[in-house]
Amino acid sequence: MNDTTSAVDDVRADLDWFGVDSAQIARVLAEALSHGGDYADLYFQHARDNSIVLEDGIISRASSSVDQGVGIRVLVGDQTGYAYSEDLSLAAMRGAARTAASIARGSREAPPQDLTPTGHRDLYSIHRGWDDVAVAEKLPLLQRTEALARAADEHVVKVSISWADSEEHVLIANSDGALIADRRPMSRLWCSVTAIKDGETQSNSWNLAGRRGIDWYDDERLQELATKAVARTMILFDAKRPPAGELPVVLAAGASGILLHEAIGHGMEADFNRKGTSIYATMLDQKVAEDFVTIVDSALHPNERGALNVDDEGNATERTVLVENGVMRSYLHDRISAKHYGVEPTGSGRRESFRHSPLPRMRCTYMENGPHTREEIIESVDFGIVAETFTNGQVQIGAGDFTFYIKNGWLIEKGKLTAPIKDVNIIGNGPEALRRITMVAGDSKLDTGGWTCGKEGQSVPVSQGMPTCLVSSLTVGGENA
Amino acid sequence: MSAMRDELLQRAHDAVAMAQAAGADDVVASAGWGRSLEFAWRDDKVEKVQENTSKAIRVALYVDGKFSSHGTNDLAPERLRHFIGQAVELTRALEPDPYRLITPSELYEGRSDVDLDLVDKDLTADAEGAMTRDERLDWIRRLHDAAHADDCVISSTSGMMDSHGISARVSSNGFAGDMERTSVWFGAECTIQDGEKRPEAYRWVGGLHRDGLQTPEEVGAECLRRALTRRGQHKVTSRKATMVVDPEAGAGLIGRIFGALSAGSIQQKRSFLAGKLGERIGSEGLTLIDDPFIVRGMGSRWWDGEGIASKRMPVVENGVLSNYYVDTYYGRKLGWEPTTGGASNIVFAHGDKDKTGITKDVGDGIYVTSWLGGNANSTTGDYSFGIRGHLIENGELGEPISEMNVTGNYLDLLTKLTMVGNDPVPWSAFRCPTLVFEGIDFSGL
Repeated sequence: MNDTTSAVDDVRADLDWFGVDSAQIARVLAEALSHGGDYADLYFQHARDNSIVLEDGIISRASSSVDQGVGIRVLVGDQTGYAYSEDLSLAAMRGAARTAASIARGSREAPPQDLTPTGHRDLYSIHRGWDDVAVAEKLPLLQRTEALARAADEHVVKVSISWADSEEHVLIANSDGALIADRRPMSRLWCSVTAIKDGETQSNSWNLAGRRGIDWYDDERLQELATKAVARTMILFDAKRPPAGELPVVLAAGASGILLHEAIGHGMEADFNRKGTSIYATMLDQKVAEDFVTIVDSALHPNERGALNVDDEGNATERTVLVENGVMRSYLHDRISAKHYGVEPTGSGRRESFRHSPLPRMRCTYMENGPHTREEIIESVDFGIVAETFTNGQVQIGAGDFTFYIKNGWLIEKGKLTAPIKDVNIIGNGPEALRRITMVAGDSKLDTGGWTCGKEGQSVPVSQGMPTCLVSSLTVGGENA
Repeated sequence: MSAMRDELLQRAHDAVAMAQAAGADDVVASAGWGRSLEFAWRDDKVEKVQENTSKAIRVALYVDGKFSSHGTNDLAPERLRHFIGQAVELTRALEPDPYRLITPSELYEGRSDVDLDLVDKDLTADAEGAMTRDERLDWIRRLHDAAHADDCVISSTSGMMDSHGISARVSSNGFAGDMERTSVWFGAECTIQDGEKRPEAYRWVGGLHRDGLQTPEEVGAECLRRALTRRGQHKVTSRKATMVVDPEAGAGLIGRIFGALSAGSIQQKRSFLAGKLGERIGSEGLTLIDDPFIVRGMGSRWWDGEGIASKRMPVVENGVLSNYYVDTYYGRKLGWEPTTGGASNIVFAHGDKDKTGITKDVGDGIYVTSWLGGNANSTTGDYSFGIRGHLIENGELGEPISEMNVTGNYLDLLTKLTMVGNDPVPWSAFRCPTLVFEGIDFSGL
């Protein structure tokens, strides 16, 4: 945690950055509550995004954007009034506050708030913020990665590299009196490869991402990025579609956490449960999986995409155990749902930007280690597949059906990996899939790629992870014999 | 809103001048303004009200043969000047790209001035006759009540969103234009109890204008009907079967081929449709026309993202690929004449039956109402999608099915199109009618 002195300094720096002072913020909060709202918050955000693309051997384009404003929210029970202003003048902010206030239909004299600078965790301070890194320092990362990818295999015909970095200043003030500043870096390096072999064309990609500074992108990581992007492309020349139907699915360690994200994570977001629209709405404290299944959603993994010092409502973040030894323990809460259930917020209230009101969202979702080994899991499968890399997934919250798309994987025959597979969708049902997790290995890890989660039109960065595990049956897209 | 149009045009002109003063050789600047209102109703009360106004400026810069683009919503004149100056400096640090040039001014010529009727005055900010807040709340309450009208409904949420936007585009080589449009969307979602499961359904309708859309009662009732048809959904066996795709699901399937039709994906060797111009890629019934001039069309426009004057363009005619989407940059790289960089409205050649008539004709198969995840590989054409839908038995929609995938390759799929309906979705830029494909691989039990 930051000590109080640094919290005061951080808040002062951000007030200067936004050109506002705490007296103005207090007046805007009072205006927001002037119709009788229970609670109000202000979310100031200044985001600068940069991107660069290298294509056909040259740095062919770059872009940057600045987006700033304040989102003003008023709650009355579970009702929300919301407005934002891009103009940070007192008059414009008070105008937006009056719009948000109108969710409440009463009137009252709300006193100006006393605001206290409040500290938080320190999970992603980087040596040099992205605002201080010149574009010329970034170009060698792209050029080096491109050269490595071109050199990795003679069949490579196209390499494109894209880079993105961003730096966000966030200042949150609420009617509980908290005033919190956070600075959030993010970066990502993406390598896309196309290869032609015997007249056939294949392409694939790999990426590295996190709340990282430029020093993290060292030569060893660039080597790994280029090597993986090329290897994942070349293997597609030998890959086939598996047969259609229900099969045992071994989820490889790492990115397979996409199963948790879709099959259980979304269904455990408390807004769906307080509304009764999630298939998990009545399953708290029930046994839903084997004893060795523990599933966590945590904001506390330093420098990961899903890391958060403080959530977007100003709540402290934490490690939330969704399923503990097979028993469903906690939903992911924002302020509205925590109040509804009479529990503490879990620090899961997140938003895409000041243009959006917060919702309960995931951060880093993963499964803890289990008692089995990867080798015994694969040996146990007579005929099935291994799912290794993924592009996307989706879920129906109430029916529980979820899907994820496998880009690379393997066929398992009589306990051995026999042939690569590609491009198939997997579909299952959340509670059924949890019951069917029959083996979990001890090799849990978070994926290093950059995942983004979409919900109600809002995108937020997330992380996911998994140990090798076996789901005894899921429906695999494929070809009928 | 002519004052706002003038203001935005002036801002765009000013931004071009600032960039030129900072050393840019060529500049394209866009200035935009937008306002949106959003209301939601859940169960017995208002769930959310939101109201926003935003402004932004984007500049595309051509400096010493190098290129970059930049946007900001921090429009205070001195800070904007500083931002643009920094952007020009950043561009100098990049590498020269001989293919990156401002759109040639000849391509701006021949711009149509047909009236596309893109603005519903009742949806603009302070127009007389604009819906009041209370009228909007009443509208979504009626929607909600219709969607909630069954004892098995656990929760339903209805909503209405409308927006009004204006953008102006100015270039250093003579382009100037502005576009104004409105849109409105409303609909409902509901979740019902069905044993342990809680199937959900939604229905949203929309358009640039409000008149001509269904009533809240009709939309809410359709949402509820869809949810009720999901009761008892279960898995069925894997099979090869005839697939009927609902008009609302069509864009999710056929829209995917447009990525592979772009010059960028062809030049980057990521298109399964490369080298197929003039060749048959689908069955006779597949005709796709890019039509930018549909009155009140969601994708209608007088110029594209590069300022190229819009033209009606056949994309696929009777199964034969007739045009790619060629922007100026990748066109130069490939040595091709530019067409347009991206789709406007897509229109199909119609058949003579709607989805009910087609389902009757098909007799047995699987009806897809929507997709659930899945993806496609634009390099190879491989696809695999999850579906929601129904068995078709004896020409009627039968039991709802769950946990099923459909898998194949587009080059094969497009040749298996056997029927096209006459019932396109009116409120989508992708005006897809009911489509029928034979011999598709479904995976289930």
